Amino acid sequence: MDFISHDEKTIAEMLKIINVPDVDDLFQDIPKDLIIKTLNISEGMSEPDVLDKMKEYGNKNKIYSHSFLGAGCYYHYIPSLVDFVISRSEFYTSYTPYQAEASQGYLQAIYEYQSVISRLTEMEVANASMYDGSTSLAEAAIMASIISGKNQVILLEGVHPDYIDVVKTYCWGQNIELIITSEDKLNDVLNEDIAAVMFQSPNFFGDITDVLVMSNKVKEKYPNCLLIQCMTDPTCLGLLKPPGKTNVDIFVAEGQSFGISPSFGGPGLGIFTAKKKFLRKIPGRLVGKTKEINGDREGFLLTLQAREQHIRREKASSNICTNQALCSLSALIYLVSLGRTGLREIANQNFQKAHYVKKAIASIPGYKILNKKPTYNEFIVRCPNINGLIRECKKMNLLPPLQISTYYPDMSDVVLVCVTELNSRSSIEKFIKAARLAINYEEERAD
Amino acid sequence: MNYEFPDNLKYTKTHEWVRLEDKTATVGITDFAQHQLGDIVYIELPEKGANLERQSSAGEIESVKAVGELLMPLSGRIIEVNSTLVENPELVNSSPFSSGWMLKLEYTNELEINDLLSVEDYKRIAEEEN
Repeated sequence: MDFISHDEKTIAEMLKIINVPDVDDLFQDIPKDLIIKTLNISEGMSEPDVLDKMKEYGNKNKIYSHSFLGAGCYYHYIPSLVDFVISRSEFYTSYTPYQAEASQGYLQAIYEYQSVISRLTEMEVANASMYDGSTSLAEAAIMASIISGKNQVILLEGVHPDYIDVVKTYCWGQNIELIITSEDKLNDVLNEDIAAVMFQSPNFFGDITDVLVMSNKVKEKYPNCLLIQCMTDPTCLGLLKPPGKTNVDIFVAEGQSFGISPSFGGPGLGIFTAKKKFLRKIPGRLVGKTKEINGDREGFLLTLQAREQHIRREKASSNICTNQALCSLSALIYLVSLGRTGLREIANQNFQKAHYVKKAIASIPGYKILNKKPTYNEFIVRCPNINGLIRECKKMNLLPPLQISTYYPDMSDVVLVCVTELNSRSSIEKFIKAARLAINYEEERAD
Repeated sequence: MNYEFPDNLKYTKTHEWVRLEDKTATVGITDFAQHQLGDIVYIELPEKGANLERQSSAGEIESVKAVGELLMPLSGRIIEVNSTLVENPELVNSSPFSSGWMLKLEYTNELEINDLLSVEDYKRIAEEEN
């Protein structure tokens, strides 16, 4: 389509028709306090001067050399190939590929994304992706409720607290009762009216659940109760048993770790997979491969669309009508760049480095590792002087670990430490040193 | 119209056929309906034992071009479903009145039978819609 700009006359005509006095009135839904009133840039500045000013502002950002922060958003190495491929305009500017005849390239990429996710998780079906991990988990709860015809869902503590909020919102909208409990008390609340048990492993605190033991426990008594696992850093699949091998019915994950930069906490990528028998209840798009009726050429297309809300709103299990195409493409390029052995190597480095730090911190008097189960690249530590640790990390140009009290106010002296393959040996030694120095740190007084 | 309209069956406006037996009824969709839908690729049927009201949805019939619902022609309890259709939904296309049957129900209100259509009435409806 040609680009045709509006002239003042056309704009005035359009405003008159919709009976709006001014273009600015079209934006009145934006709360007043969110609108920037002054940019602190004087009128009539030249472009190079504005750029200089912006750089000056930008330099006020503190950019750390290494990070010990994870908690749902991770720093992993992104191979150069990822940005190179996704920056191609055919991918970068494309819209949802409704028209198979005009979108074979993107459809093939999505099909291949589904294929690699399916191979990685060993789940039978993967969809074309969702917005992020939290919405995938919430959609899984709704899907389970529709499959079972039951409206109670159990969520085990240890799911990322932000995800719990999203699940609560979705369940509220769907009249699904959400029961939050601990793994120890699962048996007490399980009964025949439960549609699904949702849990995260490795969980928010880093604990890895023996999923097979748990699924056997649940399915033995309640074979129709669905098991839904979520994950925030699926690089661990390079080492851990895939969900397809542990009798999980629906597996979802945040795919940001696969070639997507942490940015300011988004955009993410919702990985959504399920057993084949639930194919028609899976939310979102699915791309399939087909063959010409008269000929041998293969092609790709959106398939099973009768499940989707733009076809049958009242029967759809979800109101998602799109996928996270560019981010799923990043994940595809990331995973094919690494290959099977590459991902195993990444997972191994995450595991080894995190365990090196865990052991070193545990040996410093005053620090206590609180995890009771095995961990991957995150673990929680009780600190003798948490403010000291945060301060010392910043001094050493390290992004400090998460203070758990952000989410759990009673755990005021606990941090969630994340160590990935990007943490160099020197950054690790610095962090351990920071932990030692923190013990004797004294709060600076204002007076 | 070159569709089959067996005269030993009862019908509904929504294109179900009903074979009445003692206290029970076998239900499927008509030859006309399967032609309208085209190649059927998926069928979802209710749970055995479910109690469903007349005209409530008892299942879904998905074809390559549309999705239709199977509506209960009579209120009752589902006593049997044709589970071979799950693997072989195309039986509804090839044999709508025999191996393509969908469910058997035990009806709870005999009076509702009076509201079912005769073959002549149903033929007229199908002709109008064609």
